[in-house]
Amino acid sequence: MARRFLIGCALLFMALFLLIPLLTVFAEALAKGVAVYFAAITEPSALSAIELTLLVALVSVPLNLVFGIAAAWAIAKFNFRGKSTLITLIDLPFAVSPVIAGLMFILLFGANGWFGAFLRAHHIKVVFAVPGIVLATTFVTFPFIARELIPVMQAQGNADEETALSLGATGWQTFWRVTLPNIRWALLYGVLLCNARAMGEFGAVSVVSGRVRGVTATMPLHVEILYNDYNYTAAFAVASLLALLALLTLVGKSFLEWRQPELRRTGHARDRTARGNQ
Amino acid sequence: MSIQLRGVSKQFGEFAAVENIDLDVPTGTLMALLGPSGCGKTTLLRLIAGLEIPDRGEVLFDGKDATLWSIGERKVGFVFQNYALFRHMTVHENVAFGLKVKRRSERPAAAEIRKKVQNLLDLVQLGWTHDRFPGQLSGGQRQRIALARAMAVDPQVLLLDEPFGALDSQVRHELRRWLRRLHDELHFTSIIVTHDQQEAIEVADTVAVLNRGRIEQTGIPGEIYDLPSSAFVHRFLGQVNELPVRVRDGRAFIGPIDIGAAAETLKGDGEHIALIRPHEIEIGQPASNWPGTLVAVRVMGPIVRLEICADGQPIHEPLEAEISRERFDYQPFTVGQKVGVRFRRWQVYPAATLPHSNANPR
Repeated sequence: MARRFLIGCALLFMALFLLIPLLTVFAEALAKGVAVYFAAITEPSALSAIELTLLVALVSVPLNLVFGIAAAWAIAKFNFRGKSTLITLIDLPFAVSPVIAGLMFILLFGANGWFGAFLRAHHIKVVFAVPGIVLATTFVTFPFIARELIPVMQAQGNADEETALSLGATGWQTFWRVTLPNIRWALLYGVLLCNARAMGEFGAVSVVSGRVRGVTATMPLHVEILYNDYNYTAAFAVASLLALLALLTLVGKSFLEWRQPELRRTGHARDRTARGNQ
Repeated sequence: MSIQLRGVSKQFGEFAAVENIDLDVPTGTLMALLGPSGCGKTTLLRLIAGLEIPDRGEVLFDGKDATLWSIGERKVGFVFQNYALFRHMTVHENVAFGLKVKRRSERPAAAEIRKKVQNLLDLVQLGWTHDRFPGQLSGGQRQRIALARAMAVDPQVLLLDEPFGALDSQVRHELRRWLRRLHDELHFTSIIVTHDQQEAIEVADTVAVLNRGRIEQTGIPGEIYDLPSSAFVHRFLGQVNELPVRVRDGRAFIGPIDIGAAAETLKGDGEHIALIRPHEIEIGQPASNWPGTLVAVRVMGPIVRLEICADGQPIHEPLEAEISRERFDYQPFTVGQKVGVRFRRWQVYPAATLPHSNANPR
C-alpha cells in the first residue's frame, strides 16, 4: 500500500512538473498547424539562431573535451602541489551563477573592461559577438567532462598505462590504445551532458551576447525574444527543438547507462562460470 | 641480463620507502624480494623497472648505468598483482600489444605476430582463450595471460609484483611451480615481490628479506631459514616461539631450564629474548625437562601441532611445538597430559631488537 502510494506520488509529480510542460511545448508549437511550425523554424532569424547554437556547441564541446581529459588525467594519475585546489576550481563554474559568469566576461573584455582598450585597438570584438558567446558557454560547461572522467580514471589507476609503457608503447600510443578505450563510455556521457548544456545555456550567454536578433541570439535567446514579442507559436516551435534535443540527450544517456552495467554484469557472470569450470 | 643496485634510495614526501639498498641479481637467477607490507619491496621493484626514479644511487643493467632509462628502454617485462590486462582487447590482442606498437621498421608481419602469440598462449597452456576477453577468464588464467603478454616482447628481465597475491592457495601453488618450470626453461633473470615466505622459499633461488626500506638479509632460502641474521628475519620466515632469556653468571636460562653458557654477544647479566621454531621443541618426560601441560593437539596432515602450557608461563601464551605424524602415531599425546619440554635449538637476540609491532605476519 505504502509502496503504491509512493510510486503514485512520484508519477503524479513527474506528470505535473515534467510531462505536462513538455507536452505543452509541443502542443503550443503545433497549435496553428504543421505549416506554421515549419515556417517558424525555417525563418531566417530562427535559422541563424540554430546555426549559432550549433557553432557554439561545436567549438566549446571539443575545447572542454581536450581540457576535461587533460585535467582528469593530471588529477587521477599524478600527484602534484595544488591538486586539491585544481579539483575545487573545476567546480567553480557550477558554483557561480551563470549571470555572474557572463558579467565577468563583460568586465574582462567589454569596452571599459581590462582588455577593452587592447581589443578595440586590434579591432577584435569579443563581447556582444560570437567569441564572447563561445567563451561564456565554454566556461559554464567546463566541469562536465572532467567531472565524469576523474572518478573513472582514479578507480582504474595507472597499471594499464604502466604495462603499455613496459611493453614498449609510446605515450601517445598508450593514450590512444589503452587510456581512451578505458574511459570511452564515461567520456561519451560527459560529452553528451556538456553538449546539452552548451546548446541550452541561457544566463551567461544572455549577458555577453547583447541579444541581437539574427546575429548574436542563440536558440534559448531567440525563444525569449519571440516570446517577448508575443509570438508564442514561433517561440514554442523553436523551444520544441531544444526540448527535442533534451529528449535525445536523455535517450542517449540511458542507452549509455544501460550499456555500461550490462557490460560489467555479463563480465562478472562469465568470470564466475569460468572459475567454476576450471 | 644481470642487475645491480648501488646505494639506491627513494623517498615519498617524508617517508623513506627504500634506503641505501645494494643488491646483486646475477643473470638467470630468480630472486624473491620478501617482506611485510610497507617494507619497500614494491618500490624497489618499480625502481628496477624504471617506473620510479631513485633519489640517490644507481641501477645497473649488465654493468651499464640504467638509472635514468625509461621503462620502455629497459626491456623488462612487468606483471602486476591485478594483472592489468587491457579489458577492451581480446586475449590475442593483449598478448600482441607489445609487438603491434613497435615502430614499422621493427614490427613483425601480421602472420608472424599471430604465430608468436599462439606459441606464447600455448606456452602458458591457454591456447584456447585466443578470442576471449579478460573478463571471461579466471584469475589464474588472467595472470598467465599477463605473463604471456610480458614475454611477447622478449624481455631479458621479468619483474613480478605479488603476481599470485589475489589468487586462492591451490591456484597459487600450481602457478608457483609453473613459474619455476618456465624460468628454468627460458633462463630469464626474474625478480618476484612477495609477502609470503612460503612463496619465496618455493620459487626463488635467492631471497632478499626487506624491512623498513632496508635489506635485512640476502641468501638462499634454506640458509636464511636456518641461519637468520636478525630477529626480524627469524620471525618473518616461519613460526616462532618467543621466550625471555635470563642471563645469570654467564649462563642463560629459558624459564627454569639452564640452556648453557650465554653467547659471546650476550655478555653481562640481564633479560634477552630467545626465538625457538616449533619443530625445534622436543617433547619428553616431565621429570627431566621443563614440565608443562598439553593444552591442544591439532593433526595437520604430515605434521602434528601441540600446544603446551609450560609451568610458570602465562596461560594464554602456550608454546607451539610441531612433531612429525609418524612420531605422533608411534607415541600419541592427549590433551591434559603432563609432558616435559626441551629445546633442541634456539637463537638469542637482545630484547631491544624485537619491537612487538613487527610480530609474525601470520
